[in-house]
Amino acid sequence: MERKPDWLKVPYNKEAVAEVAALMKDLKLNTVCKEANCPNLGECYQTHTATFMILGSHCTRNCRFCNVTHARPDPVDPEEPRNLALAAQKLGLRHVVITQVTRDDLPDGGAGQFAACIRALRALCPDTTAEVLISDMKGDHACLDTVMQARPDVLNHNVETVQELYAAVRPQAVYQRSLDVLRYCKEQYPGSLTKTGFMVGLGETEDQIRRLMDDLLDVGCDILTIGQYLQPSPDHCPLQRYVTPEEFARYKEIALEKGFRYVASTPLVRSSYRAAEALQAGGKN
Amino acid sequence: MQKQITMPQLRDEMKSGVFCAWLKEEGQPYKKGEPIFEIETDKVVNQITASEDGVLLRKLVEEGDEVTVNAPVADVEAR
Repeated sequence: MERKPDWLKVPYNKEAVAEVAALMKDLKLNTVCKEANCPNLGECYQTHTATFMILGSHCTRNCRFCNVTHARPDPVDPEEPRNLALAAQKLGLRHVVITQVTRDDLPDGGAGQFAACIRALRALCPDTTAEVLISDMKGDHACLDTVMQARPDVLNHNVETVQELYAAVRPQAVYQRSLDVLRYCKEQYPGSLTKTGFMVGLGETEDQIRRLMDDLLDVGCDILTIGQYLQPSPDHCPLQRYVTPEEFARYKEIALEKGFRYVASTPLVRSSYRAAEALQAGGKN
Repeated sequence: MQKQITMPQLRDEMKSGVFCAWLKEEGQPYKKGEPIFEIETDKVVNQITASEDGVLLRKLVEEGDEVTVNAPVADVEAR
């Protein structure tokens, strides 16, 4: 294993992690923190923050960067929306991020479950804000409408990488379709902030990153997250390099100069890491 | 009260971990929340923090050892 740079050290408190993990297990909920083996799990669970992953723990796609298991999907749990709201209440969350495993097997891509989760959350925790991190839902406008009509505060859909690396990194996704998802949600529901994120360290060039930022601004994206790709196992997409914190700071400057409202760009940034801060800032740095 | 600190299980499928580094010396006190040792996983280096104040009495593993989950890594005095 290649030695990790000093900036990839994270705190881990066994007891704090066990407490949140037990709550999730009791309520039959999944977190992307656990399923994706997120490096920030220790920090986030310690501060009683988690990103809920709905619609099971098995994904119908097999992206080469992702640690979530590709397998036959689980049945949709009708109790999940209420349990998610209960967990948010018990954890005292002021901002909830809900993501999903991609469910290409479901006619609505899971949109109905997203809407149900947002509504359950609004009913039980009316002061809590909601952010949804969705799949591309095959670009189906009816599915996107179902999610957006539940009025999430933030609509997040990750482009994950530059256009040139899609075939290698996201072979079952389409770059233009992801841009179209962001464009449609912004045009039709301008009251919600739109957000996306991508990883670096996969072999992308700075020119490619600049073009990606331009494309994202063209579709009206408000918030951008940039983080280091961390290879989950030797079977996943190979890591090309560790990008330095100084380079991340420069990417942030470039993105802000280009016109994004809020940018988070450090090695350990993940799409939902400290997501509340972006929203509290009104989506502005 | 004398206790043992054990190797944490950082994720469900983890059976053992590579012990990277000690951050405290034998005889050195530490506060709750301070990192005591490091474990390297595929993605990052995890700094394992103390769950209570204490003193590191004896190291039971060395840097570079592969340590089974829940195996003792140190004797400590909890305060």
